[in-house]
Amino acid sequence: MLGPLTFAAPFALAALVALPALWFLLRVTPPRPRRIDFPPLRIAADLAPRRETPARTPPWLLILRMLAAAALILAVAGPVWNPAGIGAAGGRNPLILLIDNGFSAAHDWRERLRVAIDAVEGAARDGRPVAILSLADPAAAAEARNPAAALERLRAIAPRPHLADRAAHLPAIGSVLERMPGAGIVWISDGVAGTGEGRFAPDLEALATKHGVDLAILKTDQPTLIAITGSEGGGRLTARVLRAAPNGRDTGLVRALDQKGLPLAEHDFAFAPNATEAEIVFDLPVELRNAIARLEIANERSAGAVALMDERGKRRRVGLVFGGTADQAQPLLAPTYYLAKALTPFADVQEPRGAKGTAESIGQMLDSQVSVLVLADVGALDEQTLGRVSTFVDGGGLLLRFAGARLAAGNDPLVPVRLRRGGRTLGGTLSWDSPKTLAPFAPESPFAGLAPPADIGVRRQILAEPDGELPSRTWASLQDGTPIVTAEKRGQGLVVLFHVTADTTWSNLPLSGLFIDMLRRVVGLAGSSAAPVAEGGPRPAAAVLAPRLTLDGFGALGSPPASAKAVSADYGDRATGEHPPGFYGPPDGGIAVNALRPDDRLKALDLASLKNARLGSLAGAETLDLRAHLFTLALMLLVLDTLAGLWLGGFLSRSTGGLLGRVGNRPAALLLAGLALLALAAPLPARAEEPAANRPNGFESALVTRLAYVITGDAAVDEASRAGLSGLTQMLASRTALEPGEPAGLDPARDELSFYPLIYWPIAPGRPQPSEAAIRRIDAFMRNGGTVLFDTRDALTSRPGDGPTPEAAYLRKMLATLEVPELEPVPIDHVLTKAFYLVETFPGRYATGQTWVEALPPAADGGERRPARAGDGVSPIIITGNDLAAAWAVGRRGEALYPVTGGDQRQREMAFRGGVNIVMYTLTGNYKADQVHVPALLERLGQ
Amino acid sequence: MVATRVSGPSERAPGRRETERALSLAERMPRLVLEARRVSSTLAHGLHGRRRAGPGESFWQFRPFVTGEAAARIDWRRSARDDRLYVREREWEAAHNVWLWIDRSASMGFVSDLSETPKVERALVLGLALADTLVEGGERVGLLGLTRPNASRRIVEAMAQEIVGDEAGLAQDLPPRAALGRFDEAILVSDFLTPLREIEPALRTLAGHGTRGHCVLIADPVEETFPFAGQAVLQDPEAGISLDVGDAAAWGEAYRERIAAHRAGLLGLTRDLGWTLTLHRTDRPASEAALRLVTLVAARGAG
Repeated sequence: MLGPLTFAAPFALAALVALPALWFLLRVTPPRPRRIDFPPLRIAADLAPRRETPARTPPWLLILRMLAAAALILAVAGPVWNPAGIGAAGGRNPLILLIDNGFSAAHDWRERLRVAIDAVEGAARDGRPVAILSLADPAAAAEARNPAAALERLRAIAPRPHLADRAAHLPAIGSVLERMPGAGIVWISDGVAGTGEGRFAPDLEALATKHGVDLAILKTDQPTLIAITGSEGGGRLTARVLRAAPNGRDTGLVRALDQKGLPLAEHDFAFAPNATEAEIVFDLPVELRNAIARLEIANERSAGAVALMDERGKRRRVGLVFGGTADQAQPLLAPTYYLAKALTPFADVQEPRGAKGTAESIGQMLDSQVSVLVLADVGALDEQTLGRVSTFVDGGGLLLRFAGARLAAGNDPLVPVRLRRGGRTLGGTLSWDSPKTLAPFAPESPFAGLAPPADIGVRRQILAEPDGELPSRTWASLQDGTPIVTAEKRGQGLVVLFHVTADTTWSNLPLSGLFIDMLRRVVGLAGSSAAPVAEGGPRPAAAVLAPRLTLDGFGALGSPPASAKAVSADYGDRATGEHPPGFYGPPDGGIAVNALRPDDRLKALDLASLKNARLGSLAGAETLDLRAHLFTLALMLLVLDTLAGLWLGGFLSRSTGGLLGRVGNRPAALLLAGLALLALAAPLPARAEEPAANRPNGFESALVTRLAYVITGDAAVDEASRAGLSGLTQMLASRTALEPGEPAGLDPARDELSFYPLIYWPIAPGRPQPSEAAIRRIDAFMRNGGTVLFDTRDALTSRPGDGPTPEAAYLRKMLATLEVPELEPVPIDHVLTKAFYLVETFPGRYATGQTWVEALPPAADGGERRPARAGDGVSPIIITGNDLAAAWAVGRRGEALYPVTGGDQRQREMAFRGGVNIVMYTLTGNYKADQVHVPALLERLGQ
Repeated sequence: MVATRVSGPSERAPGRRETERALSLAERMPRLVLEARRVSSTLAHGLHGRRRAGPGESFWQFRPFVTGEAAARIDWRRSARDDRLYVREREWEAAHNVWLWIDRSASMGFVSDLSETPKVERALVLGLALADTLVEGGERVGLLGLTRPNASRRIVEAMAQEIVGDEAGLAQDLPPRAALGRFDEAILVSDFLTPLREIEPALRTLAGHGTRGHCVLIADPVEETFPFAGQAVLQDPEAGISLDVGDAAAWGEAYRERIAAHRAGLLGLTRDLGWTLTLHRTDRPASEAALRLVTLVAARGAG
C-alpha cells in the first residue's frame, strides 16, 4: 500500500519492467516515410538514389508511446485511491449497512448517499454480500444480496419526511446477524435522536458485542439539521427554529409563503452560540397572516425545515343576516353594508341570497357552515330557527348580534344578558343628556389595547338588567358604566351583543375605525383553538381527512404516496410513516400535519458512551477508482500517437490527398460529423409547446387593438386578407378615432383569440377543414363576445337556383358543430347600418351578395318605430359573400390591388364604409342604437 | 514542405467550371486576326460547302428514293407526307480541320501546393478555349479519335460531353493513332511524361501525311523544381512504380537534369516533324499559352 493508494492487481505492475525493452523496440521502428505522388517518376525511375540518411523515431514520439504504455500497465493494475476506509476490513464477511433516512438526513443526503455507495462498492470489490436497512422506512426483514443489487436498492432510497423510528429495526438486524455471523455493521447516522429513542444505540452495540461483530458508525461531527415549528397564538405567528446541537449554522432566513408558494414575509433568525433553539415572531396584518400556508427555512431542503399552517388560524366565514325588510330601498344605509365593509378585509363575508324572511336567511347561513353568524337587529325567532342557532352556538359557533328596534321589542333567549324592554335615548330632544362616548376598555376585555376615539357618540342603546354577572360579561361600556358590548360563553360557543345598531341611527360607532378593530377582535375569537374563550370550529369531532398534498423528505409538496393514510380531524401529533406531513382534507377546512409538533425539541444522539463501536467521519472518505482515468489517458495518448504517425507520414497535409484535404473536400461529411458531435455534446431538451399567449402574435396583440384574419393556408387568399385588413386599418386610422395596429394572421388552433374584437375568416374551399380543437376555440371566442366575419367570396359564382357553391358548402360543414344563432339578412334598421356611416348594403369586391347577421328580436308592436334596433350584444357572426378583403386590399403605395365588379363608381368607397361600420359595430355594440335618440332627447330637453 | 496530390478519374473530366472558364478564356482571344487569315485560306482550300450533295452536315435537298438504295437512307419523316419516298441529302463539305487531343491520364491529375490547379484542368480549359476560338474563326474542330470535325456554335459543350463520355481516354497516355488529312492540323495538349521512345512513333504517325501540329506541354512547377528533402517514397500514379529515396534533395539534382534532357529531346522531335512545342506551367495564366497557340495556328494557316 502506498498510503491511500492501493492496487487491485499489483502483479500487473511487474510489466513495467518491460518498458525499457519497449524503448529499444520503438526506437528501431520509425514511422513510415513520407509518400509523394510524383508523375515524372516514369522517366526518372532509373535514377538510383545516391545517398541515404538513416531514419529514427523522433524522441518526442518515443516518449509519447512510452507514456501510453505505462498508463496502460498502471490501469490494468487497478489502482484505487482511498479504498473504503472504515468498516471495510471485514474480509469476505457480509456487510450490514444501516442508513438514517429521516428528514434529519436530508440536508446532506448526497454526501450520505456517496459514503454509502463507496461502502457498497468497496464491498463489491471484496466480493462481500450487502444488506441494506433504511431506518426511517417501516421495519422489514433485511436480506443480504450481491453488491450490484444492493447498489440499486441504495439508489432507490430517499429521505423520508418524518423522524426515524430506529428501534423498530433492531429485531431485523438481530435476525440478520443470526443468519450471517461475522458480518460487519456500518451505520451512517444523522446524529439526531428519533422518536421512541434513547435505547437504539446502546442496544445496537449490545447486539454487536453479543455476536462479536464489528460496528462502525459514520456521522458528521455535529448534526447539521435545522428544523422549524410554527404556532399561532395570542394573535401572533411564532416560529421556532430548532437544532439538535450547536453546529455552526447560526444564522439564516425564515420565509413565509402563501398557498401558491409566493413569499409573503421573511424574517432572519440567529442562534445564540450554544443555543439549540431560536424563536422569531412574524408581526403581520391579520389578512396577510391568514394567507400564510407554509413557513420554511430558506435554502434548507428538508421536510423538517417546513412548517405547514392550516385553516385553524385562517379567515373566518361570517354570515350576515339583517332583520329588516329584505327589499332595501337604500342599500348603502343598511346595517349589513356597514358590517360587510368592516368585515371584508379579514373575513369571508356571506349574505343570504334570495331568501325570504329572516328564518330562511339564518338557515341558509348555517347551511353554508359559517363560523360567525351576525344578526343585525333580528327580533324574535321561531322555534326551529332558535333551536338551530342554539345548536350552532353550543357547537362552537360565534353569534354576534346588534341591537335595534326589533331586538328591543322582542324577548329572546339568545342574548348574553337580560335586556330591558325598550331602549334608552341620550341627547335626544326629550333628553337632558348629551351623547355618551365609550369608556376605556378593561384589561380583561378582548378589546384591551384599543383606544376609543373621543368623538364617538352613542345616542341610543339597549340597556341590560342589572345583574350579578353583568360586570363579568361586559366587554365594553359607556363612560357612565352602562354596558355597550356584552358577551356570554354558551356551550363551546360565544354570544356577543352590541347594544347599538350596526348602522348610524343609534350611534356613530360604525363609522369609526374602532368598529373595524372591535369586529376583528371578536371574529378572531371564533373557531380558534388559541382563543381564550371559545374553542373549536363547527367541525365534526371525528371526521377523517384524506391526505391532499404531502411533503417529501426534501420539503417539496406533492401528491401523497400510496402509503399515506387519512388522519382524524383532531390529529395533533407529529408526522409518521403512515401520516406523512402535509395537508389533509379539503382545501378549506382541512388540517396540516407537520414533521414536528410545535412543542417538539431536537436532541443529539449520545454516541460517546459506546465503547465497542468505531466512530468515523463522513468527510474525506471519498473513494476514487483510478482505472477509468488511466484508461482514458492511455487512449488519448494512443490517439495522439496515431495522429503524429499520420502527420509524419504526410497524410495530414491539406489539399493533396492527405486526410485533412480529403475531409476538407467533403463538406457534407464534415457537416455530418460536426452535427453528430453536437448531438452528442448537447442533447436538445424536449421542449413543451409554448403557450399561445407567448407567441409573438399574442404578445403584440395584448397591447394594441388589431384586426385579425384567419390564415387559411391558401397563399393568395391569405395575402388578400392581409392586404385587405391593412387597407381597412389605414382607413380606420384616417377616418375614425380608432387606430388599430398591424393586422394579425391567426391560426385558430394555436393562437390566443381573446385579444381580437373581430376576426375575418375568408373561406378557401381547397383547404382542409379546421380541426375540432380550432372549432371549439372559435366557439368559445364567439360566446365570449367576439365576432367572426365569414366571407365565402362567392357572390359572383352563386346562383339562387343552384346548389351551394363549394365555399358555401365548406362553411356549412364547418359551422355544423358550432352554435350559430338564428341569422337574417341585415335589416334596414339594424345598428350595423348606422354604426358610423349610414349605409344600406355591405358591398365588397362584388355587390350582389347578401350579408347575414344574428336575427334581432322582433320590433315591439305598436311602439314608435325606432330608427335603429340592436339586440343585447354584438352579433357573434357575420356572413357575407362579397369578398370584402379584396375590395379593401391596398398595396404598399396605397393603390387598390383588385378591381371591383359592378356599375357603381363608389363601390370601393362603400366597401370601406361598410368595413368601418362593421368594426365600429363590433367595438361599440348597441351604443349607436341609443345614440340615434340624441336629437329627440335634445329636442325634449329644449322644451 | 510542398504537398502533392493526384486527383481521381471523376475530377479529370470537364465539368461546368472548366467549360465556363474555357468560354471566358476564348472570349478574350483575338479572333478577328484569325478570321482575317482564315478568309484567305478559305479561298485556297475551299473550306465551306461545295454546293453539291455529299458528306456534310447541312441539309442540301430531298431527292426521290431510287430503287436499289439502302432503305436506311430514307427520310421517313419527309416520306410520310405523301406517297413517295425521299432521301435526305446533305451538302458536301470539306474543311480545313483542326484535331484536338487532351491528355487525361492519371499523371495529368497531379497538383501541388505551388500551383493550385491540376494539370488536367488547365489542359481542358486550354483545349476547349482553343476549340471555341477556332470555331468562332470559321474553323472545324474535332476531338482526335472521338468526334468528327464540327463547326457547331456550342462546340465547347459538345466536346465536354464527348470527353466526359470517353472512359477509355482516362488511361491513354499518348494520342490515338489516326491518319489525318494533309491540310489538317493537330493540337496535342499533354504533359508528355512518357519516355521519348514511345512518344516518337505516335507523333510520327499523326504527322504521316504532312499534317502539321502543335504540342502543348503542361507542367506543374513541382515537376520542374522538385523541392523535396529528406526521406520520401515517390509514387507514380500510372505505372505503379515507387521509389524509396533516402535523401530527396540529392536525388532532385539528378532528376532536374533528366527532365531537362527529356524536354530537349521532345523539342528536337517536334522540330523534325515541323511541329511546334509550347511549354506551359500551371502556375502561369492559361491565356499565355492560349494566345501563343492561336498565334501559331493562325501563322500556319496563313503560310
